[in-house]
Amino acid sequence: MIVKLKVNGEIRSADVSPETTLLKLLREHLNLTGAKLGCDVGDCGTCTVIVDGKSVNSCLMLAGRASGREVTTIEGLASSEQLHPLQETFEELGALQCGFCGPGMIISAKALLDKNPEPTVFEVRDALSGNLCRCTGYTKIIEAVLDAGRIMSTAEAKS
Amino acid sequence: MLLAENTARARALAGGTDLVVDLKHAPGDVDLLVDVSQLPEFGGIGETEEGLRIGSMVTFSELMASPIVNQMTPEIVAASHTVGAVQTRNLGTIGGNLVTCVPSADSAPSLLALDAIVTIAGSDGKRSVPLEKFFVGPRKTILEPHELLVEILIPKKNLGKPSHFIKFGLRKGQALALVNVAAALYLNDDGTVAEPRIALGAVAPTPMFARKAEASLDGKKPDEENLLEAARVAVSEIKPIDDFRASANYRRHLVQTLTYRALKRSTEIASEH
Repeated sequence: MIVKLKVNGEIRSADVSPETTLLKLLREHLNLTGAKLGCDVGDCGTCTVIVDGKSVNSCLMLAGRASGREVTTIEGLASSEQLHPLQETFEELGALQCGFCGPGMIISAKALLDKNPEPTVFEVRDALSGNLCRCTGYTKIIEAVLDAGRIMSTAEAKS
Repeated sequence: MLLAENTARARALAGGTDLVVDLKHAPGDVDLLVDVSQLPEFGGIGETEEGLRIGSMVTFSELMASPIVNQMTPEIVAASHTVGAVQTRNLGTIGGNLVTCVPSADSAPSLLALDAIVTIAGSDGKRSVPLEKFFVGPRKTILEPHELLVEILIPKKNLGKPSHFIKFGLRKGQALALVNVAAALYLNDDGTVAEPRIALGAVAPTPMFARKAEASLDGKKPDEENLLEAARVAVSEIKPIDDFRASANYRRHLVQTLTYRALKRSTEIASEH
């Protein structure tokens, strides 16, 4: 089946078998390997992408269902000049250790901050409860999300 | 029609958070998937003459964001918040959760406590049954192969009924319930309990009512003694199992403690009204 969708602002299409997941479509057909294959059953969150404004486990969504929809992956956050504030704060605070959970963490955090730029610690923890970090670096991850939220709301207030 | 003609190896696809995992574990078991998640008559939330109608394909995130659900049945919102994590709640549907029919289904107890009714459509028409009768056993419902769960109705008389839901898992996120409890009750003018409901999850082959415990409390004052007695009776009605998450005995202990707390909180909400 032909699946046509918008990924990081560009129209893309691919011919995939019906049981292909969105994750497989992104990684193996569109060569976007930022979203990672972790548990492949919706527990670890490292495959998280945003579909029409909502974060989902791309390992649980069949590619066909993403047809005609707008997908944002980690590759869609930075421009060639500028990192996304979340990428900057994750780097500054050392919120990534091995880095495998990073793309999913940052995408989940983006989905939160896009709706709620000044979350409480509890809201951050709740929003990231579907993203596992096996280096157990959660403290710095949560600080980085809170910092990025402050940067994003300050930037918005100035503009 | 597709489902009716290809019954053996066809499945209806809802949010996919269970079924897509099944497809990976047993490829070849299913050779026809029919995506029903976008059918308009299976979606939407709204008030009707009969009560609050929730389309089976409404996601847990949609329930949590719905002003009407927050206002009329806040414990359905509380229960939805305990399902998986944000990403799975954005995909997973309330109807899918009921049809998958695991004993620990987080959406079941709060719906049972409000006497929810489910509507099923098949090639021979529609039928409605109380949610309690929908569950047959672990991963088994009354749905015939040609039938689909269309919607869930919370009867009008139970909108705003004082209720409290408690999930007990080993973590706050991404946890299966060791025990789920939902209570609902009204208080009569004389302070006695009317129409008590106690619904339990993960302690029997299906989500269940503790009917004897409800009867023990009906018409009584909701004092410590009577609430504790109802909680003790509830324990006598369950059939918990030992597994790697918890022993049956621990589940019995949880049912007693959590039933008491859910009843106590429901009583407090009822007296605030």
